Amino acid sequence: MSAARGTILTAIRAALAHRRGGLAEPDEAGIAAEAELLRARVVSTRPDRLEDGAQSAFLRRLVSPGVGATAESVAQLADFPAAVRRYLTAQGLRPSVALQPHPELRALDWSGIETHAQISADEPAAVGLALGAIAETGTLVFHSSPASPTLFAFLPAHHIVAVEAARIWRWLEDYADAFADGVQPRNVNLITGASGTTDIEGALVRGAHGPGRLHVVLVGGAARDSNH
Amino acid sequence: MSAVKKPLGFNARVQAALADPTLKIAIDRTIGNARTKRAAAMAQWPQFPAARELGRDIKDHVIAHLDHYLVKFERNARRSGAAVHWACSGAEACEIVVDICRKAGARSVTRSKSMLGEEIGLPHALQEAGIERVETDLAEHIIQLAGDPPSHIVWPAMHKTREQVAELFHRHHHTPLPLDTVENMVASARRELRSRFLAADVGISGANFLIADSGAVCTVTNEGNAELTTTLPRVHIVTAGIEKLVPSTAHAMAMLRLLVRSATGAEFTQYTTFHCGPKRSGDLDGPAEFHIVLVDGGRTRMLAEGLADMLRCIRCGACMNHCVVYRQIGGHAYGSTYPGPLGSVLTPLLQGLPQSADLPRACTLNGQCQEVCPVAIPLPTLLRGWRDRAWSTGIESVTARWALGLWGFVALRPALYRLASAWAVRVMSLFARDGWIARMPLAGGWTHYRDLPQPPKRTFMAQYRRRRARS
Repeated sequence: MSAARGTILTAIRAALAHRRGGLAEPDEAGIAAEAELLRARVVSTRPDRLEDGAQSAFLRRLVSPGVGATAESVAQLADFPAAVRRYLTAQGLRPSVALQPHPELRALDWSGIETHAQISADEPAAVGLALGAIAETGTLVFHSSPASPTLFAFLPAHHIVAVEAARIWRWLEDYADAFADGVQPRNVNLITGASGTTDIEGALVRGAHGPGRLHVVLVGGAARDSNH
Repeated sequence: MSAVKKPLGFNARVQAALADPTLKIAIDRTIGNARTKRAAAMAQWPQFPAARELGRDIKDHVIAHLDHYLVKFERNARRSGAAVHWACSGAEACEIVVDICRKAGARSVTRSKSMLGEEIGLPHALQEAGIERVETDLAEHIIQLAGDPPSHIVWPAMHKTREQVAELFHRHHHTPLPLDTVENMVASARRELRSRFLAADVGISGANFLIADSGAVCTVTNEGNAELTTTLPRVHIVTAGIEKLVPSTAHAMAMLRLLVRSATGAEFTQYTTFHCGPKRSGDLDGPAEFHIVLVDGGRTRMLAEGLADMLRCIRCGACMNHCVVYRQIGGHAYGSTYPGPLGSVLTPLLQGLPQSADLPRACTLNGQCQEVCPVAIPLPTLLRGWRDRAWSTGIESVTARWALGLWGFVALRPALYRLASAWAVRVMSLFARDGWIARMPLAGGWTHYRDLPQPPKRTFMAQYRRRRARS
């Protein structure tokens, strides 16, 4: 332990003791209880937007100008390659993609598209499978793992992502709670639309460093959206 | 812009900024846009007042138990495989970072924008150590090419017009694209920087939040440069102020809602990433080493010296976007890492009050900054605190003390004060044309750059008396 650690913690404890003016520092359980009360207050601070269900809210946010992604729905994951083919054709791209090394994606029939597992620095298009999505913000969730390398979401010019409708969390906190007790992945990437910058005169331009286009394929969405 | 680089005093820097013909245009384009977008986002979020109280209370809770949360964060970060370093001063933090770079044999380092990095002088320290530094945030890339310091904490190149950016890229990019549109400028920078990301030995980022219960570090960007900075090189170094803690990921989410809307008017950043430790078994990418440098740099003094409220600050920049002074003079005139209201509170602590007593004075106390602050920092009160301290420690000039003494003498004598103000409005009216005063003796400091509105013909007290007599 460095001397700085001791110096900083001692200075903090002295200042806090002075601020408390003789009152005892609450114990760990007391601090946790305070934090939990704060956590509970969040419910009344969230924007109203999930009245018509998580799925509709997710799709609406996703294609809103602020997020700027494109979206379509398919019945099952087996339909994903056809959606990718349609997208590549519509965008005038070659039928060649970096395919995220996810077993469920690899098991699909990719005939007509050349797929490779390595992603290059100037990859035109990558195809991925998100862990889930968050309705409130129109966000895709990726946890880094051997089946989900981080760079697939950041190097390509076009990122085409499938996400299961059953894995949409309503609020940001619902996602957080779902993994609160598990092992934190090396990277959690919450991706909300394509890369953008407003650094030159505040004008929004897409494709600053990450993908310039994000296309989301929602898999197995219910015809009628449930409110859960 | 060249004028602001010389070591001038505050007044001279303000003069230079006001005389700059393009600066006002550049500020209005970016900052005007930011204010409009924030207002639109807030109109969609009637829960903002409650959210802001929660944000304030979460930060206050962390600050009240800062030692507890720091130790908890450190324990969890170490468990994830991160190396955690502590630094009392900015210089100590820079030494730690440079040492890690040297041990890694680093020749080239990529950086993702971090205000703390600027605050501790990391760009300079890397240069001194002979390590090439590549700024990857587009705005930081622009000001690195221009050799300018940042002028805003969210849009560091806000002082550059598109024409100036095109000129810089044309001169510095290896194979510049046609630079006729902002889109092409962005594409040119993307191409220029892509190879630099791949060549870097170390990537350095800041932290928007440190998550105590997981040991993760949260960064937000819209460009995706943070993730390319932290994933591609063999070593990732995070530098973070000790006040960046939140208890859990869920608490971070509540803070993110406030941060993003306040900063850019968007609802969420394109890339919100929680980084936790180095590459794991089987991972195809990610850094082999993950270092976190926790920096005090005056924060424990803030806690001890009555500035604990300022430790809430999440660096959104809303206070400067809504500051009437900042909007006239831009960021460089402040002469420090942090401009605007938050900077005028922080700089006297970081640089010393005698060197920066002008900053808390350059404020109208209109309260806009506090009103938009997503964690309700009482900025005007803190600025007044510095003015009090400047007065009580004798930093104020003889002229200022004399003038304030005179004003105090008059203000404490109502009859005299009414007489003086009645005389003043009459004299001012003599110089007015069509409701505006373009020139007046002793008012050159104001009227040189803008007109002064003509005051009403009678003072408030005179009007009040007349109305009461009539009714």
